[in-house]
Amino acid sequence: MRSTLLLPNKYKRIGIILLIPSLVLGALVRFWDFSFDFLELPFGKAISSGSLNLDEQINLTDELALTGIILGLIFIAFAREKQEDEYINTIRLESLQWAVLINYVLLLAATWLVHGFAYIDVMMYNMLTILIIFIIRFHVVLRKNRITNPE
Amino acid sequence: MKNTIRVERAIHNITQQQLAEQIGVSRQTINAMESNKYVPSTVLALKIAKLFGKKVEEIFLLEDED
Repeated sequence: MRSTLLLPNKYKRIGIILLIPSLVLGALVRFWDFSFDFLELPFGKAISSGSLNLDEQINLTDELALTGIILGLIFIAFAREKQEDEYINTIRLESLQWAVLINYVLLLAATWLVHGFAYIDVMMYNMLTILIIFIIRFHVVLRKNRITNPE
Repeated sequence: MKNTIRVERAIHNITQQQLAEQIGVSRQTINAMESNKYVPSTVLALKIAKLFGKKVEEIFLLEDED
């Protein structure tokens, strides 16, 4: 059985290499208001006129971080296993179903528990939870099958 | 469905890893089949039977709840 939607196995490593610095950058941007000066757009005011703050310049540091995080997660999630076969395909599909379900359970819970501006944070994390839950669930099941019933 | 893969492996004296390599699947797949967590496709069942020189129904057996 061939899954055509998968990337070559080496993308798992590329994904991790991309994800780690992007997560660090994302955390710096989010929690310490960090930004790279050279990513400041000169025409920020013009295109941000629809936003809340008219004086706000657009800086692309957060765009860069999120792009790296999403691409990193996608690469890890969609990388083929070294020995990709029908059982691994089944785990993949199951894990995706799990991830979608848990993602929305978490979102529903957060919708009722988190209010006001904090909910923007919820939506931000929710952009990534589906991929994160998928990756964790998929690898946990793979690992469990590797170590149970040793010979 | 249950199966006798573990028994057949013991008879032929091969490890999960060797069996996996010979039929071109991961070791996890063999492990999952032996612990009845995964029902293989017809293609995979036929490959396993062929390797052990038996009929599919001698290795894969229906259970009451199937």
